[in-house]
Amino acid sequence: MMPSFGTPAEPAYFSLAEKLIFVALATASICAFWLRFRTVLAIILKARPDADFKLLPLTTRLKDFFWEVLCQAKVVRQRPLPGLAHAFVFWAFLVFALVTLNHCAVGLGIGFLESSGWLGRFYFYLAALFAAACAVGIAALFVRRFLVRPQWLGKKLSYESGVIAMLIFVLMATYLGAFWVTPASAGARILWWLHTLALFSFLPLIPHTKHLHLVLSPVSVFLSRGSFSHIPPLAGDEDFGLVAGTDLTRLAALQAYSCVECGRCTEHCPAANTGKVLNPKEIVLGLRSYLNESGPASTDLLLGRFIPPEAPFQCTTCGACEFQCPVGVEHLPLMIGLRRGAVNTGAWEDEAGGKLFNTLERMGNPLGSSAAERDKLIQKLKLPLFDGSQEYCLWLGCMGAYDPKGREIIADLTRILDHLGTSYGVLRKERCSGDSARRLGNDLLFQQLAETNLETIGQAGAKKMLSICPHCVRTIQEDWKEFGTPPAIEHHTEFLARHAGRLPRQQSKDKIVYHDPCYLGRYRDVYDEPRELVSLAGTLTEAPRSRERSFCCGAGGGLTFLGEETGERVSHHRAEELARTGAKTVAAACPFCNTMLRDALAAGSAPAPELLDIAQLVARGLPDKN
Amino acid sequence: MPMKIVVAIKQVPESGSPFRIDGSGRWIEEIDLNYTLNESDAYALEQALQLKEQHGGEVVALSAGPDRVQSVLRDALAKGADRAMHIRCGDGPDRDALGTARLLAAAIRPESPDLVLTGLQSDDVGHGQTGVLLAELLGMPHASLILQVEKSETGLNVKRELEEGWLQMIELPMPAVLTIQSGGNKLRYATLMGIKRAKTKEMRSIDAPELGVDTAAVAVLDHVSTIRKQKSGQILTGTPAQAAAALVEKLQFEARVL
Repeated sequence: MMPSFGTPAEPAYFSLAEKLIFVALATASICAFWLRFRTVLAIILKARPDADFKLLPLTTRLKDFFWEVLCQAKVVRQRPLPGLAHAFVFWAFLVFALVTLNHCAVGLGIGFLESSGWLGRFYFYLAALFAAACAVGIAALFVRRFLVRPQWLGKKLSYESGVIAMLIFVLMATYLGAFWVTPASAGARILWWLHTLALFSFLPLIPHTKHLHLVLSPVSVFLSRGSFSHIPPLAGDEDFGLVAGTDLTRLAALQAYSCVECGRCTEHCPAANTGKVLNPKEIVLGLRSYLNESGPASTDLLLGRFIPPEAPFQCTTCGACEFQCPVGVEHLPLMIGLRRGAVNTGAWEDEAGGKLFNTLERMGNPLGSSAAERDKLIQKLKLPLFDGSQEYCLWLGCMGAYDPKGREIIADLTRILDHLGTSYGVLRKERCSGDSARRLGNDLLFQQLAETNLETIGQAGAKKMLSICPHCVRTIQEDWKEFGTPPAIEHHTEFLARHAGRLPRQQSKDKIVYHDPCYLGRYRDVYDEPRELVSLAGTLTEAPRSRERSFCCGAGGGLTFLGEETGERVSHHRAEELARTGAKTVAAACPFCNTMLRDALAAGSAPAPELLDIAQLVARGLPDKN
Repeated sequence: MPMKIVVAIKQVPESGSPFRIDGSGRWIEEIDLNYTLNESDAYALEQALQLKEQHGGEVVALSAGPDRVQSVLRDALAKGADRAMHIRCGDGPDRDALGTARLLAAAIRPESPDLVLTGLQSDDVGHGQTGVLLAELLGMPHASLILQVEKSETGLNVKRELEEGWLQMIELPMPAVLTIQSGGNKLRYATLMGIKRAKTKEMRSIDAPELGVDTAAVAVLDHVSTIRKQKSGQILTGTPAQAAAALVEKLQFEARVL
């Protein structure tokens, strides 16, 4: 008989012995899977429940699940070629669910996909299409992992990944091969059994390898904490953050086991790229090793054997890792959680860090400046005090109040506000928003700063605020919620972009490269507004890494106050990248980026481009005062 | 040998506060002021905590003033002090260093400590006398301007700061009173765990009259005033050589900096 194209050939019958062997193999495979998987599941369930977890609203969860899991949108968009190869494998797995079920049913003599019917025929064809794509995809991924060997996959070759790739290839090849052999022939029988063996070998390999992500990552993505860098409130009097295994929550454990070790987090991490100890992937894997060896009931410290104690304190909290992660690992709650555990208990001993905390406590700002300096600035710039009659309360922030460059930004912003006829006033006194205290994990200090400010703002009756600092905006809007109702606050670029129509368009065609601050971009999803404003002042050009993929300036997470970096400087890496665009001007939108880049650009070999905040760029086009 | 250490600390207005002289002309308006721990007292507390960590024992934080001073005592408990004593008394122009020292001495005496530490001087009135007077009242040896304290076989080895970078090492027996200079140690930061643990620690309040000492001020404060800025510029004329000579003369005899 000629091979009948359209359906994969099946053996015509199975002897009792064959059926028994099949059942025995299936049972062994499923049992081996379950025995291993049960351990992982038990660890996750034994971990502490997440106190502030809410399942609702489901819409965001379903949307994320649809895009990130079913459509593989993030996987493909952030690493197009390997992403597509992965997507083909994943989609083939979805399509193969039914094929595999039918395959097993055939072994028991109860196959349900009829190759004679149009539906069965259509489905077999469809599966063949995906099988071909999957075979190509997995072969490409194999070549990438074992021959190309990108450094982010780690130094150690994962031979298990090779075995798994081979099994997947065999699964697809045997399925496709069956289209070419005669039904009921010996060839059909051989292919059927090969397919079966591959399938049953594959299953037990899942739970103890990174292929556990097949099972867990859809759950991780679906059950994520719901917003970027969500820092959960401490629960009860004995919660100081992530100190020991007993502090690990179910979500943290679930995410640790979901990690697929792809290294995207590390590839985009400013610390890992500049020779620091911190490697976000190793933090997640360290947590997994801790859970495997010590378990969620352990009171051994998390920082130590599995996670280097200095590593979390090298994090700029830029969030590139969390943004990149395709399997729903939320690195920031982890990183800040580990810092909280060390700082809230006093275990973290760092000269600069201790000094920062004491300065913030005594002076209310991280720069150690006297509040009288702020008063002098208010007098010098003739800034009106907020009395409730003005539309906006302008939050100066520590950089705006004390830093020379920050003061220039404030001066230019107020010129623009005057030009637009927008009324504003500043608070009589401000303390630091608590950004550094929050990100460094000092909950006591953060609470004191947030509560004092909330009281001042409440008394002043400010409802709408403006700030030049994305860190203040984020901290005030999101983090203060733990201690009261913060006023609505926006970044000056958001405000200015709304009034772009009334702002002067400058004649210059000079190239301006915009550096996305982490806390405005990834934290607040503000990408287009600053660009719109840059376009008023010249020709916008993009850095190789921009928008969601922007590379940190190195200041965030309190690091700007922690003194000398080990390894190379993050800011120098970024400054070089910005300077290489050939732009005449670097546009910044954060006073911290401004400080870091100012020094780093000056340290570069080529003549440094000019560095201006977007408010300064816009103000350049204003008519002179006289 | 474990040590029992009493640290006398003071709450002072934050240096960035808006200072306004009150109606009496003898004190400042207390509304609008934020208060904090006196800086050199923070170093005294740090020194006490480090000695306790090295040798064991007990650290008792002590402060005299109105109820608001309990916040610096609570912070001291949070940083590691074992218990706190609050002498409830007024703050203001009618309080002097001797009266305060008498109150502190009366509260310290029944504790019979091995060591009494306090800051060198307060950041507000800056008498720099309370610690010295305290030593006299307690009949203990005293050393001032101390940067570091080490326990020896027989007593204490301390490092004093002199002028122009000179240091002096002194041995003295215990019990003793030391006034601590800022900057000798790294200050620890307050932690959430510390604050939570502090809730269960003892804070004893004593009304000043209960101590039965005479606190009438012997040094009477007349009035307070703000510093009047007197900036004046002079342009020296003549040839550069003449101007330079005139400048040197002025620096020598008027400014007295050469």
